[in-house]
Amino acid sequence: MEIIEKIKTKQSQDSLTEIQKICLDKLQPSPLPNPKSEQWRLSNKSKFSNFLNYPFNEKNPKFDTPFPKSSQSTIRLVIGDSCQFNLIEENYSIKQLSEDKLVKYIKEQISCFDENENWSDLLNLSLNCTKNTLGLKINGSEIPPIEIFSHASSNSLNAKTLIIFLEKNCDINLLQVNLGKENSSLSQSTFFFLEENSSVNHGVVSYGENKSNLLNSLNVIQQNNSEYNLGSLHFKFNFARFEIRIKQSEGNAKTNIKSMQITKKDEQISTFTKIDFNGPNGFLDQINKSLADDKSHAIFEGSIIVPKIAQKTDASQLSRNLLLSNLAQIDTKPQLEIIADDVKCKHGATISQLNEEELFYMRTRGITLTEASKLQLSSYFQEIISFIPVSKDRWDLLDKLLQEN
Amino acid sequence: MVKENLVKDVVKEPYKYGFVTDIETEKIEKGLNEDIIRLISQKKEEPKFLLDFRLKAFKKWQKMKEPDWAGLGYEKIDYQDIIYYSAPKQKEKISSLDEVDPKLLETFDKLGIPLTEQKKLTNVAVDAVFDSVSIATTFREELAEHGVIFCSISEAVKNHADLIEKYLGTVVPASDNYFAALNSAVFSDGSFVYIPKGVTCPMDLSSYFRINSGDSGQFERTLIIAEESSSVSYLEGCTAPMFDTNTLHAAVVELIALDDASIKYSTVQNWYAGDEKGIGGIFNFVTKRGKCLGKRSKISWSQVETGSAITWKYPSCLLLGEESVGEFYSVALTNNLQQADTGTKMIHIGPKTKSTIVSKGISAGNSKNSYRGLVKIGTKATGSRNYSQCDSMLIGDQASANTFPYIKSQQPNSEIEHEASTCRISEDQLFYLQSRGIEFEEAVSMMVSGFCRDVFNQLPMEFAAEADKLLALKLEGSVG
Amino acid sequence: MQSQMKESDPILEVENLSASTDNLPILKGVSLAVYPGEIHAIMGRNGCGKSTLSKIIAGHPSYNITNGDIKFLGENINSLEPEERAQSGIFLGFQYPIEIPGVSNLEFLRVSTNARRKFLNKEELDTFDFEELVKEKLEIVKMDHAFLSRSVNQGFSGGEKKRNEILQMALLEPKIAILDETDSGLDIDALRIVASGIKKISNSQTGIILITHYQRLLDEIKPNYVHVMSDGQIIKTGESDLALELEKKGYEWTDNFIKET
Repeated sequence: MEIIEKIKTKQSQDSLTEIQKICLDKLQPSPLPNPKSEQWRLSNKSKFSNFLNYPFNEKNPKFDTPFPKSSQSTIRLVIGDSCQFNLIEENYSIKQLSEDKLVKYIKEQISCFDENENWSDLLNLSLNCTKNTLGLKINGSEIPPIEIFSHASSNSLNAKTLIIFLEKNCDINLLQVNLGKENSSLSQSTFFFLEENSSVNHGVVSYGENKSNLLNSLNVIQQNNSEYNLGSLHFKFNFARFEIRIKQSEGNAKTNIKSMQITKKDEQISTFTKIDFNGPNGFLDQINKSLADDKSHAIFEGSIIVPKIAQKTDASQLSRNLLLSNLAQIDTKPQLEIIADDVKCKHGATISQLNEEELFYMRTRGITLTEASKLQLSSYFQEIISFIPVSKDRWDLLDKLLQEN
Repeated sequence: MVKENLVKDVVKEPYKYGFVTDIETEKIEKGLNEDIIRLISQKKEEPKFLLDFRLKAFKKWQKMKEPDWAGLGYEKIDYQDIIYYSAPKQKEKISSLDEVDPKLLETFDKLGIPLTEQKKLTNVAVDAVFDSVSIATTFREELAEHGVIFCSISEAVKNHADLIEKYLGTVVPASDNYFAALNSAVFSDGSFVYIPKGVTCPMDLSSYFRINSGDSGQFERTLIIAEESSSVSYLEGCTAPMFDTNTLHAAVVELIALDDASIKYSTVQNWYAGDEKGIGGIFNFVTKRGKCLGKRSKISWSQVETGSAITWKYPSCLLLGEESVGEFYSVALTNNLQQADTGTKMIHIGPKTKSTIVSKGISAGNSKNSYRGLVKIGTKATGSRNYSQCDSMLIGDQASANTFPYIKSQQPNSEIEHEASTCRISEDQLFYLQSRGIEFEEAVSMMVSGFCRDVFNQLPMEFAAEADKLLALKLEGSVG
Repeated sequence: MQSQMKESDPILEVENLSASTDNLPILKGVSLAVYPGEIHAIMGRNGCGKSTLSKIIAGHPSYNITNGDIKFLGENINSLEPEERAQSGIFLGFQYPIEIPGVSNLEFLRVSTNARRKFLNKEELDTFDFEELVKEKLEIVKMDHAFLSRSVNQGFSGGEKKRNEILQMALLEPKIAILDETDSGLDIDALRIVASGIKKISNSQTGIILITHYQRLLDEIKPNYVHVMSDGQIIKTGESDLALELEKKGYEWTDNFIKET
């Protein structure tokens, strides 16, 4: 209940937007997620309540991106700063979504929200105002890569919303970076709409600092013949949840997901994915990797839902996990729910430590145990990182961050 | 092209065990309260510790809520509308099989389980349970020569009270779950097996459960203890007549294996499943669990689940002893409106423990077939391994197949591997078989039994053949 | 083992070595000394302990030394880590080279070469200098440059894997190389390439132990000594003609030695 009070006292009832009001109403009967539900049962309760403890902050202080300076060839946007953005070029245009369209779209989304499953989005939308919402409509061809930053400032809870409409036949590379500052909480909700024949290479890199928290929710709707490729990496958060919901609204679409989370110290990072095939001929290739060290806890829960209408779906989901310490733990639960009969679905999960024979082999060549482990880990990361659409110089930075970690 | 309706027809084989034996029975009144429990206990002339066990369980049960997490759709069970004790009337004390009511012997004859001296199966000792009581156990003397105790649990309570008191409820505590608590309060009969140290049981042991009356629940309880370096293979079969009401079957099975002991527990479950509209059938809510207490002990579950309106069953292993082994091999076939939610829990507690899970689900008609399993490797289970494989086969586009594996590891020096896949019988495969002159239905049943091969290989021989036939019958007319 | 006066000190000395894995004894008192310039062959049935011996010399963590010593250049190395042994000049050619998906072969070779060079107080090589060196060594095993950009051993044929092992040996320039069934799974051409590679790399200052089942590698590389192992022990040692005799008479012949001892 506290959280609702917090939002309400922050703003007078009148200044609340329509969306905020709807979401607050939805949260009213059950202001917090049900800790016994599948989506939340493994979440660390004290870490989660810590997430909500910071005072809500609407302001958007300047920050220095740790990434190299923006170049001519990329478009860089910061949610909060660049929310008034229009770019019309010869081949393409990136325009701000009109308020009407935005509200209409979000309302549509909310109408099919489940209080528990979409709790993170409900929180985000009831906290957020137009100022921290970036809504873009993209069309055309030969669009330069786009980088979108979202961040939380220290000692506060920030909420950022990103909405992207990708129009027909359009394809883009988009890197989304979520940064957590020391003692902060970031609620990031992203809504992605892919029209027919569009395609996106979407990278999500989220990393925090000391005691930062993240609720990152990603909702994707794919129309016919669209292709959605996601490469994501979450690390260095005291508490983070990455929720991915993908709906192939008419089937006939392709989804590739390569996600990874790294936990150290006593961090808890979880990834939840739900892939809904709402039509025939859908395709999914998904892999989630976790690495848990020290006293940390990594969680993966993935569900694939194939209703009767989704004949000829071809879906594969793999959960690969490395458990590196006696005190760390890993939970994984890949699930299939299938009603259609003419489908190819498979999933797999493994939990192990670094391969001993591989390590020994490298050591007999004079490579130290530490070095050999590093090599093995970086090969483990490689598959994911190479799927994140970033240019070479940014790649190096990512590599460095991982090495430090 | 295979026609849709052909598919549906395949599953229509009538249930051939659906007859009712007309026999005078002694039933107590419907309902459940402390007095009923005292009455059951009194009828069975039980010692005080057992009555206390029942009453304690009853108190717990009253405080518990019927679970709904499996998402099974069924009408609420009225626990006051069930008869908790029903037994065929016969002479007080039966000294030999000749005194058993011929109608009962005939019943088991019809079920393919002849009990009389002349006809009994030669390589299997059978304990036949009819509604709430055990009717007869064959080969008792032969087994006794080896020190093996195989009798009804009621008898064991009288003759081996020490063992019962020591082990009953140690694997499945009364408070474990709603149905285990209910069973602990009202269990009527079941089988008891004790294999002494160093003995390899000279023949397979088998219990056959028959529900005959429509309004009584069946709550049997099985307890198997394998002492150090002993081994036993135990088989369980079940059938029930066709009634248009649902009958509740809530059994508890507890297995205990000490150092180097091994227990193999096989089930072919063919309770009445209800008709094609989903009317009638057994609610099969069973708790089965084995405790590998000793070093290098092994418990292996294999099951073929084809019957029941709803099955809810997770034969599990607690792997405590160092290097102990747990196995689960399962075939679950659902058709029409059947629902099966089955799987296993492998809890690795001791070091170097190993478990294997092979589950094959086949769903046809409008049925729902779920695998739900838990593999947990605890902090002390260093060097442990698990391998799971869960495959589903879908027949027709109305059936559903779900896989819910929960996997948890807290031990880096261990390995867990899980694989699952979903498939159907492909037209190409069918065509290939048919082009070699194999009939359509034969081809389907070949494919299904091929799909289940890994599990059938784990069943004792006679059982495997039986299971194969059973699947073929169940599927007749259902593929396309 | 016959006693013979040697002019220099041995490179490798194995003294009465016993070892076990999972409390199962595998080696039961093996003794062996390899002097500079010598080539030793170890033969024996599957499971006799010859692969285990090679792994223990290289320091595989799954085995426990229960008795005896391994000395390299006079120093006891029983408690050294595998990488320390490799850096100081012990090379193990694997019977089944391990595939390491995702780790590039070139990077792997460079890191290991530099680890050895560092030990030898030689300058570490940067990417370019290393490329030069590798190119030269690739010649020895007649391997294509393209192998370098693939993951370590992943998708390599049996012959390619073995050649990759010899390439590593060429780069690391070990004092002693233990080659565990390097000849198995090779066709005759590949066998010649591998054998000539081994000959090129070895010299009067290095020692070689060939572990093999067959005579054919020994036709290419003539050993000074042949040891026959059985049940964790060396049951017979002879000169190169022992291998020929063994080929003729089979391992049953050696069973008599056990009875004798």
